[in-house]
This record gives sequence, C-alpha cells and structure tokens, in this order.
Amino acid sequence: MKLRLIIGIASFFGAISRLTKRGSGVMVTGRIILRMQPDAVSALSKNRKVILVSGTNGKTTTTSLIFSALSINSNVVSNYTGANLFAGLAAALSKNLSAPMAVLEVDEMVMAWAIKQTNPEMVVLLNLGRDQLDRLSEVRFVAQKWKDALATLPKQCLILADADDPFVVWAALDWNNVLWFSSGACGHIDASTCPSCGVILQWSQDKTHYSCRCGFAKPNAQWVLSADELRGHQGQAVKVVSGIPGRAALSNAARAVVVASYFGVSLQDSLAAIAKVTSVDGRFGKLKIGNTDFRLLLSKNPASWRETLATSASGPKCVLLVVNANTQDGKDTSWLWDVDFAPLKQRYVVVTGDRRLDVSARLTVNEIAHHLVANENAAATLLGEVEADLIASYTAFHRLAKSVSR
Amino acid sequence: MTFTIVHLLPELLGTYGDRGNVEILSWRLKAREVPHEVVSIGVGDSIPTSADLYLIGGGEDDAQIAALEILGKKDSLRIALREGAHFFAVCAGFQILGTQFPASGDRIVQGLGLVGIETVSAKHRSVGEILSRPTVPIEMLTGFENHGGQTRFLDDLQPLGYVLSGIGNGQGSNVDGLVTSQIVATYMHGPAFARNPELADWILSRKLGVLPSLSAPIFNQLHDERVSKTK
Repeated sequence: MKLRLIIGIASFFGAISRLTKRGSGVMVTGRIILRMQPDAVSALSKNRKVILVSGTNGKTTTTSLIFSALSINSNVVSNYTGANLFAGLAAALSKNLSAPMAVLEVDEMVMAWAIKQTNPEMVVLLNLGRDQLDRLSEVRFVAQKWKDALATLPKQCLILADADDPFVVWAALDWNNVLWFSSGACGHIDASTCPSCGVILQWSQDKTHYSCRCGFAKPNAQWVLSADELRGHQGQAVKVVSGIPGRAALSNAARAVVVASYFGVSLQDSLAAIAKVTSVDGRFGKLKIGNTDFRLLLSKNPASWRETLATSASGPKCVLLVVNANTQDGKDTSWLWDVDFAPLKQRYVVVTGDRRLDVSARLTVNEIAHHLVANENAAATLLGEVEADLIASYTAFHRLAKSVSR
Repeated sequence: MTFTIVHLLPELLGTYGDRGNVEILSWRLKAREVPHEVVSIGVGDSIPTSADLYLIGGGEDDAQIAALEILGKKDSLRIALREGAHFFAVCAGFQILGTQFPASGDRIVQGLGLVGIETVSAKHRSVGEILSRPTVPIEMLTGFENHGGQTRFLDDLQPLGYVLSGIGNGQGSNVDGLVTSQIVATYMHGPAFARNPELADWILSRKLGVLPSLSAPIFNQLHDERVSKTK
C-alpha cells in the first residue's frame, strides 16, 4: 500500500483518538503507520535533512528551540511534544511530507534504531545521568549503547556533543566530525570513574575539567557558553536570551542557535526566534487550580530536580511538589535522596502525589517544613489565592500539562 | 562519647540514593540528642579503623571495582572489624564484602573476603519491590532492589530476611542479605532506613544499647504503606 494512503488511514484513527479525548492521537497515528509499514521512518526520512536530539534531560526543550530557529527558513517537522519512541518519530515525520527538514527528539535507548532509520545530518547529544534506573539502565551502559550506535552514523553526519559530560564525550569521541559544546557545567554525579578504562576519573578543583591516566580527557570546546555569552571557534560571539527561565534552558537555547547556524540560519535570527519561546509542551505554563495560579515545572531525576529547584528559587514563595512512581516516572524513589532540597527552606512547601510519603520522609530528614495533602485540589485549597510553583514528576506533569492555558 | 559513622566512598558507591541511609541515621541520632559525627571518606582519604559504624552503598561495575581497590588497601576494614566496628552494606557494598563478585565482560573479581559469601551473575536482573520477614526482632522489611548478582552463603550464615516478595540473594534461596554479630547486609538498595525505621534503630542499638524512644511517624507511615502495597 502506498505510504501516503497508510498515513491517511493512520491520521484518521489518530484524529478519532484525539476527538474522543483518549489521547493526543500521536501514538495511535505512529503505531498504525509502523504496523502497516515497518520501515516507514526510513522511507519518510529520505530526501530530508534529519537532526536527532537525545540526552537524559532537556531533549524536548532543545528540540522545540531548534524547531523554532529552523522554521525561520524552512518547513520543519518535529516531535517536540516529547513522543520520542518509535511511534512518536513515525507520527512526526508523517505530518508534512513536503517539509525538507526534521528535528526529532529521541529516547536515549532508541538512538541506534533512529540513526539506522533516518540517516541523520546532525546528532545533538545533551547529557547522560542517572534516570529511572529500574526501567532504563545504569549510565555507563547507556553510554556504551550510544557509542555503538554512533559508529553506524553516515559519514557526513555532524555531532554536536556536550564536552562537560564525560559519558557524552566517551560515546562521541571516536567520531571524526564532532563539535564540542561547553556551558561550564561542574562535576557529574555519576562520573567518578573513567568511562573509558574504569579507574578513578580525576576532576579539577573547580570540577570543570576531567582527565584520566589512560588519556581520556575533556576535549576543547568549539562553542562555549559563558554566563549568557556564546562564543564560537570562528570568532562568533552573541548574547543568548532564553524566554524559558533557568540555566539549563539558556544552555539549550545556545545549543539550538549553534545547530541552526549549521543549516543556514544566522545566529541573530535564531536568537530572536528562540527568545519568543516561553513554554514548551506545558513546561513553565500557567495553570489555575481553585484560586491558586500555578506555574508548571517538570522534574524527573536528580539532575533535573537540582536544576528545577535552582530555577524555582527565584519564583513565588509557595511551591507544590507532586511525585508519582508509575512506570514512566520510574518505580524506584531512591533518587529522592540524591537531591538536596535545601533550596526549599524559607518557602511554603506542600507535597502530594502517589509517593508523597517518600517525599515527606526525605524532606523531614532535609529539615524542610512542609504540608502533606491528598491531591492538587487540596493543595490549592490550602494555598488559596496566591501564585505558586508546581514541580511535578513525569506522569503528574503530563496529566496537569493538559490543563495549561496556551 | 561521640558515635562515629563512616560513609565509605559515596562518590563511587552511591548510585541509588545511598547517602540517604547516612542522613537518616544522623537525623535519628540528632533527634535523640546522641552526640555523633559522620565522616565521609572520599577516594583520596585514608580509612579510619576506629569508627563505630561503617556504611557501604551500591554502585555500577567499574565503580565497584575501583572501590574494592581502595577498601582493600591496608586491610583497614578487617582491622576495623577486629576493633569491634559494625557494618551496614548494601547491594554492591554487600557483594564486595564476600569472596568474589562478577564484573562486566564475564570477569570474576576477588572481594574483601570479610564474610563467607560469593556472588555470581544472574541470568536476569532483579528489579522491583522486595518484602521480607526479618530474622531479627523488628517489623517486616520493605525495600527496592536492582541488581544483576546472585549471592550465596559459603558458611552457615543468618540471612537478614526471608523474602516474601522479590528476589533478594537469589538462587532460589528466598532470603535477603545477611546478619552477623557485626555486619548487616541487604539488597534493599538506596535509603533502606527511610522505609525501615526499626532496622535503623536496631542497628544503632546493637552498638549504643537501648535508645530513647523517638516520635517520627512519617517513617512508620511510609513503612506501612510500602508493606501493604507490596503484599
């Protein structure tokens, strides 16, 4: 059957799913396409410039920002709503068959398949850290998977990889066409041993540089983000402004600017487009529950919690934490103890979610005063007519993001 | 007298929130006004041999081997045991105490040999909630396990618990961990003491004697919730 007809059928069922409010329709569309034509992603990637984006944190935001920048000059398809497994990629590529470019967020464990199917022009590697260890794998194992997958890239492919992250560097360093990016991130909770040889990795006093006696070391970055200034290896220098708050968002914005520049979009044009993006798929969106005006933040593993707590610190005094442990959250809540919740001291903290007792135990030991409530509605009743940050784990976030005013 | 807790190599053996156990013990001692200190031993530090309680957490293969090299130096842990120290070891830390454990590439690594156990690779990784009936006088034990090893006793050892749900030491043993007069070990990784306040207090009391009562109902509520959800 012709691929266009398959896409038509799949989109029809996707629309029914959306109209009957069973879901966004993306997964239904993608699954039907792949069921009817298993090599559809490969077929839909032909004659397109494909960019793949992967990493533990920041995939959705970075993909969305790259999409915004590239859209200045071209039609682009993307899965920037976070559907980053097989069906999500198929659905994204089926959206506009005449679009010459695609920017795809890819789950870390789907990279090998995505590379094989799409023959990418560029791969953006953000970071690797502990995340849902019960469902995914320990970090070194994921890095090995990446390393193996990257060895199958088409020859002309360019990798933009994070020089600050030893696991990303180890995965990418065998490739002969790598651009290293550094935002000056310090240390790495999982990189106490060398990813290459396994002995203790030596970190500089300020934790911005690492090296090993085997020769593995932090590479010199061609693109460096220092405070808000992005400098390139050919003398480029621009101030990066992100519409999304936080250090991580600024760093992702800088990466998006760099990526777009390799596809003919000027740094200034990219920056202007990116600065207008203030919310991605519900992140930092506004949500009213009862009389409380919430700002919605996603947090899903120790690295992202640290980042989110730092970003939220300049936000409203009240904060609601919602933590679940469903399959997509990771069923193991041990990671709570890898997060220092001290930035919540002096704030008015309310806790809910399926695993609120785990959070409460953690906060108790962290000496953070807090209130436990049954659900978000009870939290809103307690908080009343105020502004508050709502920091949620994956499944709670996606449930609440549906109500974000867009 | 100050009760000294040594946290061994948290950068290497701390993959699953293991530092939580140290924080919880410290919090429980502080709440009871028991003078204590926590000494965190990094990769370049020498290991004290005169502390009261040593905690060893879990970690990935390379980190486990790197930790073994450091812990094996100068026989510090054996000396500490001889001096009367107590140990609490979790997952990779549990395996290190034995005679051997598996590493990547089908390697077998010689452990510290402080207890008569050996660990081999399991066909399938053991991942999920674990519930066990303790062999010591405390309430039911609840935790989360995530390990690729199976541990068997080479000597006549006492397990920490009889597994009601989950895998634990594996090999059809239906037991988790071990208890000796000075060592408690388990596959309940991460902050086992968050879910099992009686285990935390029992380990402390083995060294400190009877502890004053402590009202911290959140830990008991968490324990009861996890037990009832796992049954």
